[in-house]
Amino acid sequence: MTLRTSISPPAVAPTQILDAPSKHHMWQRISPYIYIGPAVIYLIIFMIIPVVQGIQLSFTKTPLVRPDGGTGVGLENYSRLLSSPQFYNSLGATILYTAATVIFAVAIGAGSALLLNQAFKGRTIVRAIITLPWAVPTVATALIFSWIFNRSDGVLNEVVGVLGVGQQGWLVDPKYGMAAVVLTSVWKVMPLVMLVVLASLQSIPSELYEATRMDGAGALETFKAVTWPHIAPTVRVVTLLMTIWSIRRFEIIYLLTGGGPVDSTNTLVVNVYRQAFSNQELGRAAAIGALGLVLSLLVTVVYFMMERRNAAKEA
Amino acid sequence: MTTKEAPPVLRTAAHKRRLKAPGTRNFSKPVRYLMLAALVLFSGFPLYWMLNTALSQDSELYGQAQGWWPHWERLADLGDVIGSVPIFKWLTNSMVIAGGTTLLSLIFAVLAGYALSRFKFHGKGAAGFLLFATQMLPEALLVVPIYALFASLGLLNGMGGLILANVAFTMPVSVWIIKGAIDAIPYEIEEAAAVDGCPRVTILSLVLTPLILPSIAAAAVINFFDGWNEFLLAKTFIAERDLWPASVGLASFIGQYLTSLNSVMAAALLFTLPALVFFLLVQRRIVSGLTAGSVKG
Repeated sequence: MTLRTSISPPAVAPTQILDAPSKHHMWQRISPYIYIGPAVIYLIIFMIIPVVQGIQLSFTKTPLVRPDGGTGVGLENYSRLLSSPQFYNSLGATILYTAATVIFAVAIGAGSALLLNQAFKGRTIVRAIITLPWAVPTVATALIFSWIFNRSDGVLNEVVGVLGVGQQGWLVDPKYGMAAVVLTSVWKVMPLVMLVVLASLQSIPSELYEATRMDGAGALETFKAVTWPHIAPTVRVVTLLMTIWSIRRFEIIYLLTGGGPVDSTNTLVVNVYRQAFSNQELGRAAAIGALGLVLSLLVTVVYFMMERRNAAKEA
Repeated sequence: MTTKEAPPVLRTAAHKRRLKAPGTRNFSKPVRYLMLAALVLFSGFPLYWMLNTALSQDSELYGQAQGWWPHWERLADLGDVIGSVPIFKWLTNSMVIAGGTTLLSLIFAVLAGYALSRFKFHGKGAAGFLLFATQMLPEALLVVPIYALFASLGLLNGMGGLILANVAFTMPVSVWIIKGAIDAIPYEIEEAAAVDGCPRVTILSLVLTPLILPSIAAAAVINFFDGWNEFLLAKTFIAERDLWPASVGLASFIGQYLTSLNSVMAAALLFTLPALVFFLLVQRRIVSGLTAGSVKG
């Protein structure tokens, strides 16, 4: 473009006429980068570089007090992790926590959505009450549940006491620690599932229901023929999100049990934090974090493979 | 993909009819009410208990059973109760952190969302992938290297550093929300302005931004409460008690009972209420925004 400008014969203010669009064109080409650039550079500095550094850190022995003074140890962190029962316990806790939280949150959340998709008096208020926990800050959630679960003065023990069960240490007994943490998590995240599924339910055209009713279908058949096919993609997406978020959930677990009792809730992310800031071993912490990342990626890949298979089936 | 199928529900006659459509009745009436009651109890009780604890007498919290009903008369002494916790200082810090996070995040998000919505350019797919993939990174993996980075830059123990770190986690979702909003605005409006010789920056700030204000507001609320609630980074980066946000301050009371629990709960209630109110105001937008951000790859 610029070349053409320079050899064009001089006419009435030629450069102005011809230069303007070419400059404009150049500007057109770089301007998207000016808009997207800041965000991309920001994420590279604060996300991508730290991830790369984290992975580098996992090949070193680095003390917390001197984060930049690590010594390379090759794969030692990984080989030690992969041969330590504590790591497998942590992996197991992550999988158990994730599976339980996702199953209960999706089942209760989708069930509530079905209930709330029906007209009844006080629907708005009921929906508001069921949704509120999602907006409660995590720290406040942990504070209230740690009081409810309190061994000597908690209300849960008061209630089970009426049923003739003795006081239980819900957060300090290895039998109950995981259950208590899962219950709290489900309380907090279930509303999101409910809201998303409810939105999907409300987008089902009523004609579809009328058509199946004309065919004389019962409630269960209608659910199988109309409701479920319509909400299934949404349920799948929300399950994926719940899974990824559960794998990386830190606050609720850390604040309620700190990974205990006896490491029974020591999920990978809690483990990372304890290795880094209690044991002051940044290298080993980073190695656990990297393996946790692999787990998240694995879940995502499996999800996209399933989606692709579903799409192929439908086509 | 979910949001495309789920337009905002209009309160029309058709909508009401749809709710009463016979096909949607999956449960018989008594069973339905029983299940609803169980749900309301499950979701509502802990919040009620928080209020009840905040309004309880010191004596009934320990040793003897806590009463089932709040002592409303204690509302009058709530000021003193809260006085034993430096909650206002911490709430102010939370406000600064959340406000800074929101502002910075939105500036990046409006610019990036505009680029993703209105331009075709090389690397667009890669930028979109970056914005999508970074949402999946666990904070706990990043906290160690970001801590190391901030230690070397002298950014630890300050709210500025915390804001910078928060933005990295909240911005991607905002970008998707803004992009979605701009996608929904017909391009002709900008074309008319462009023909009039308006530069793009002016179009974006004076023509588009007012049109997508509701989405910007929704993104702002999400960002604000991400910053308001954030705990892990704040706990790791800020050691000084006076600089703590309320999340870290309140968490320091978990499992220690030196400070009377009704004070702590009252403080926690103050920390929770703004989140609840704002959430109820913009609930629907938050949900569609979050799913849009997480789903579009």
